[in-house]
Amino acid sequence: MDKQNSPQVTKRTTRASASTKPSKNTLPNQKKADHRPQSLLDNLVYGEQQAIISQDELISNFPGRKCQILELLRLFGPINSSLLPIFLYGGPSSGKTSIVLHIFKHLKRPFIYTSCRTCHNPRLLFESVLNQLLLHKKDSSNAYSSAKRCEKPADFVNMLRESLMEVVNSLRVNSRKSGLEESDEQGIGRMVYIIFDNMELVRDWDKDSVIISMLFKLYDILKMPEVGLIFISSNSPDTYHLNTGSVEPIPIHFPEYTEDDLYHIFLKTQRGPKLYSSFLDVVLKDSCKITRCIDELSTYFKLLFEKYCEPLSGIGRVPNQDLKSKLYMHLKPHVTPSLNEVFRVPSSPALELKENKEKVGKKRNMRSLGDGVVPDDIDFHMSVSAKYLLISTFLASRNPATLDAALFDSAGGGDNRKRRRKTSETSIQQKENAEQELLLKGPGTFPLERLLAIFQCITSVTDGVLEEEQQEVDVLGTEGGDNGLMSDVLLQLSTLSNANIIIKGGNCPLDGSSRYRSTVSEEMALKVARSVNFPLPKYLYRK
Amino acid sequence: MTPSATPDSPLPPSSPTANNENNLQPFFVLHKPIPKKSSRKAPQSAKTRRKIDLSTETHKFNKSEGVKQVEQIVDDHLYQQLRVEAFDIIWSKIEITIKEVLRGININVFNEIHQWVRKSFAAIRSTAGTLNSAQLTCPYPLTIDIDCKKIFTGLVFTKNVEFVDDLLTFNDLSLHLKSQGCHVVNLSSLDFSAKSGISACIWSLLRQFVMVDPDVADITILASWYNEPDNFNNPLVVIIDDMERCNGSVLSEFILMLSEWVIKLPVILVMGVATTIDAPRILLPARALHYLEPCKFALGSPAERLDAIVEAVILGTNFGFDIGYKVAVFLRNYFLRQDGTVTSFIKTVKIACAKHFVKEPLSFLCRGLLDEDCHDFLLQKCVLLPESMREYAFSLPSCEGLDKTTPLTGESLASGISEIVKLKKNWSSVFMCLYEAAKFQKKQVVDVLCEALDPDAYRTRGSLQRRVGEVIAKSHSVDPYSATKGSFIFQVIRKVRDLPMKQLCQLLQVWEKHSEEIAELHEKVKELQSLLKSEEENNGGQADVAVLSKRLATRSYMNIQRDKGKVYDKAALLLESMIRDYLKPIECVPFHEIICFKDVDILQSALVGDPRRMIQVDLLKSHKVLLCSCCTKGGNVLLPSMHDTSIMYTLAQEHGDLINLHDWFKNFKSTIVRPCTNAKGKMRSPSSKKRKHSIEPEDLTDALVQARFCRAVIELQITGLLKMPNKRRPDYVQRVAFGL
Repeated sequence: MDKQNSPQVTKRTTRASASTKPSKNTLPNQKKADHRPQSLLDNLVYGEQQAIISQDELISNFPGRKCQILELLRLFGPINSSLLPIFLYGGPSSGKTSIVLHIFKHLKRPFIYTSCRTCHNPRLLFESVLNQLLLHKKDSSNAYSSAKRCEKPADFVNMLRESLMEVVNSLRVNSRKSGLEESDEQGIGRMVYIIFDNMELVRDWDKDSVIISMLFKLYDILKMPEVGLIFISSNSPDTYHLNTGSVEPIPIHFPEYTEDDLYHIFLKTQRGPKLYSSFLDVVLKDSCKITRCIDELSTYFKLLFEKYCEPLSGIGRVPNQDLKSKLYMHLKPHVTPSLNEVFRVPSSPALELKENKEKVGKKRNMRSLGDGVVPDDIDFHMSVSAKYLLISTFLASRNPATLDAALFDSAGGGDNRKRRRKTSETSIQQKENAEQELLLKGPGTFPLERLLAIFQCITSVTDGVLEEEQQEVDVLGTEGGDNGLMSDVLLQLSTLSNANIIIKGGNCPLDGSSRYRSTVSEEMALKVARSVNFPLPKYLYRK
Repeated sequence: MTPSATPDSPLPPSSPTANNENNLQPFFVLHKPIPKKSSRKAPQSAKTRRKIDLSTETHKFNKSEGVKQVEQIVDDHLYQQLRVEAFDIIWSKIEITIKEVLRGININVFNEIHQWVRKSFAAIRSTAGTLNSAQLTCPYPLTIDIDCKKIFTGLVFTKNVEFVDDLLTFNDLSLHLKSQGCHVVNLSSLDFSAKSGISACIWSLLRQFVMVDPDVADITILASWYNEPDNFNNPLVVIIDDMERCNGSVLSEFILMLSEWVIKLPVILVMGVATTIDAPRILLPARALHYLEPCKFALGSPAERLDAIVEAVILGTNFGFDIGYKVAVFLRNYFLRQDGTVTSFIKTVKIACAKHFVKEPLSFLCRGLLDEDCHDFLLQKCVLLPESMREYAFSLPSCEGLDKTTPLTGESLASGISEIVKLKKNWSSVFMCLYEAAKFQKKQVVDVLCEALDPDAYRTRGSLQRRVGEVIAKSHSVDPYSATKGSFIFQVIRKVRDLPMKQLCQLLQVWEKHSEEIAELHEKVKELQSLLKSEEENNGGQADVAVLSKRLATRSYMNIQRDKGKVYDKAALLLESMIRDYLKPIECVPFHEIICFKDVDILQSALVGDPRRMIQVDLLKSHKVLLCSCCTKGGNVLLPSMHDTSIMYTLAQEHGDLINLHDWFKNFKSTIVRPCTNAKGKMRSPSSKKRKHSIEPEDLTDALVQARFCRAVIELQITGLLKMPNKRRPDYVQRVAFGL
């Protein structure tokens, strides 16, 4: 029934929508009036009010991608010609998805798009494809459910075939009619294309690669010449074990952009091209060595360009050679540091004000305190026992376990004698090797008991010091608080591991088999140690 | 962070707090049950030998008559009821105040976040342009430009490694944003676990936004929901309480997915960060970080919050409940050293409050102190007190210094209590003056408070000031306060002299406000202010002159300096006299026990759990906990009637870190199969409650002994005191005990 109805209705609505943009208010009514057939073309063909773009426009939109676009267009061929599966691959943000979508905008043919990122499990992927084919929309009227429930690949193939037949038939009827009436105008053809984006993600949730092989074999399974399959992935086809004997998809590689391409791409997005091109001259060459990913570069350039324009009053000005070198001199100190600063966190205005004030205050304090004292600036609160625990985890991670006895002997202080002898015996070559090894290994792991032992040692050593000091500093004394920094260590331990300062591995607390690792940087540990007046450097084992 | 509650209430069931305050339970869980209500000195009880006979229990005041009286009074049902009511009223008032204070602290940040949310929403909308509904729900990405994929992310720095306080804060934030019309979801780290992957957080989103529970976690549902006209014009705010605890890969996957949709679904993230600004960089991979457009916000630090609460609760309005010096010090130290969350601080105050009302027989009188005209209420109540109660009141330790001629009547009791109230009021206003001055030195309220509450410090201060006065009278050149190093209060007084003019003006203004209640002080402050003003005017006038004549100016400058010195001296003297006259700690006042909680031991045992230590202590002295008749007589000698695990652990004390299993077993066997020399032991063991199958020692077979041995070893392992033998030393177990 649908098949017979759809052509006429479809045509009516397409024309209507082409001439008048559907406003937000009228749309729901329209939807209700003719639910399914109305949106057949709208949905499968690219957005109706956007003008069709020409081939030249397409190519000029994507600098450096001319041959890929032409290749794709050649493969798509004229209207109604069948298509072997295509496999597009290339690094992130190299233009795969946008080029494919723009080609469909150019060709105006019906397609279905599913991203494996949004559809993060097989069921979602299957249902998303089917929903689009059946023109089903999840909304409150159908309790946000899918058109069909589909979980198994086998079901999917059957349902897909059914619904594809339906769509293809209606398209055929439609194209015959339109072919009769207006033979000059290009119709939307009889082909349906299915795009699977982000294919590399399927491997994460499809462990035995049943779905991947099914998707790649889909062309053979369906045996429908009217269906074109397009796979987009950031990995090359070699990583997918495609040797299944079926028709292999045609690979199209999107290589990394060259420096020249990047220059054109970035220039295209800017309003003040002259100034920007002089900016690109300065920075592009160096940054290309690091990354050619457009997304990364554009965030990076955005920051730098702001800096670059700082001495200028308006962007519109065209710089001469003199000004250029001046700007370059201004920018130069910022280039390398900002490479590390892709993730920059600006403060909210009120906070910024406060922080500046604090900074000024701090500076003043520093001056009054003299040079020797570095202010303790851990910017979050930790209780004293958490601080000690952090220090002991750091020690446990950094020092080899065999040296614990030497460091924490009964005298309690860092006894350096043994260490010194050891270092004097080892040759320089060995030392360097060991240093490199430590660097490669990163922080070591340690069992809970060792941590507790170290914790007990350093708290007992420093407790005396702490108390004396406190009695000096304030007359309050420490009664009521001194009985046990030890008392709830395990609680503090969980606090620290919640804050990602300690990483826990293994999960049998009864065995004592769980091992921990400290992820704190030395800088931070030293800061914390300073805030509780703990002589951390004395206890650190250095080769 | 609080240990989870266990079903059995560790509080004695007869205690009223157990019934009406279930929230207190977790704090008591770590301790052994206290068998009898009146013996509550828990920490000592671990070490001191406790007699079962209650009448000989050592009590705070050693009057043998008084003890029994107190027991009676405490148990009196009617008064118990009254005390519980008083607690309810007073605590609810305190709680409301605390909540208001906390909300007040956060409101600025909340407003800021809201403004930023609106701004970001407008930015998203402007990049998106006008989209129709078909485009908004279409499955393919509309644009690929990086700018259109950025998710606005507010990083809210909570400034505390503990996240407990912030749960409440983020709830408040979500309520605040909701009231402004945003769609808000609260996600926690539990939604971002590696186990359930990305589905869990999307489900959670759908459940809270769309209010449906679909069988697949599909974000397109959200898109079509958002597309409905009712929902369309407001931003979607997703609050993640504790970013650090989330699984990095799941969170980054979530961000990547949202970034594909952000044009169609204007999602704005708000993430709580406990540690440093590096946290997101450590947690998330670079490809996810690219899509964040961060902005930084900061909540008040826990210390600030604590100050605000202390200001409101302990210094602000009179709630009829007060804390003594030692309790204040304990609270401060506990906050700094152990816990550092405002939540637990509030809990501690609550415990103190509850305990006070349970323990103090006359505490029901506190209820009257909430009203303005408390004297009438007190008079009415005090006159009606039974004789025993009145006697008790006058036998309180603080009444020793009371005038002997004072009649022991209800009237004098009532006037004594209302005197406390009056004193306390003055005390708070003077303390606020002191604190305002201390603010210039960046001192914290709690620190100053602790000193101001210390009765010893008060006494030494009195004598010191006298001496200082003499020193000043003799010579001006010597710094008179050098002797008082270490005292905050003297530091503050000294500092007042060094304040710049502008700050002194500010200070005096605040003082004027605070001293309104005390007429005498108020006048003095006004006087100082006018003096300062005239000084300033002089200053201005002479500055003009200074331009005209240099010589004159130098002279006038010297004059100014001298005058200025006078004003500062006067200000410092005023502060000094204020402190001397009004800053009398509450513990120096008669009858203060009625409204002031001083028993720090209770708090200590309730909060500093020290579970590892307690387990060991209890194991070594199990008979003190079990209070059975069979083992108590033995002292430190091991008896076969004792619990197996306890015997084992006591035996283990004789070994070092490594315990030879065979020796241990032999010792154990010889202990429990010891031929009973005295008939008593035999007689009692059947009546022992601990062992269900009472077996005569002679009947013990080797197998049974072995079984009991194994069970005890396993129990010790489960309590975390032992490590099982490893391959290297198969016949040794290792002790892993710390903290004793």
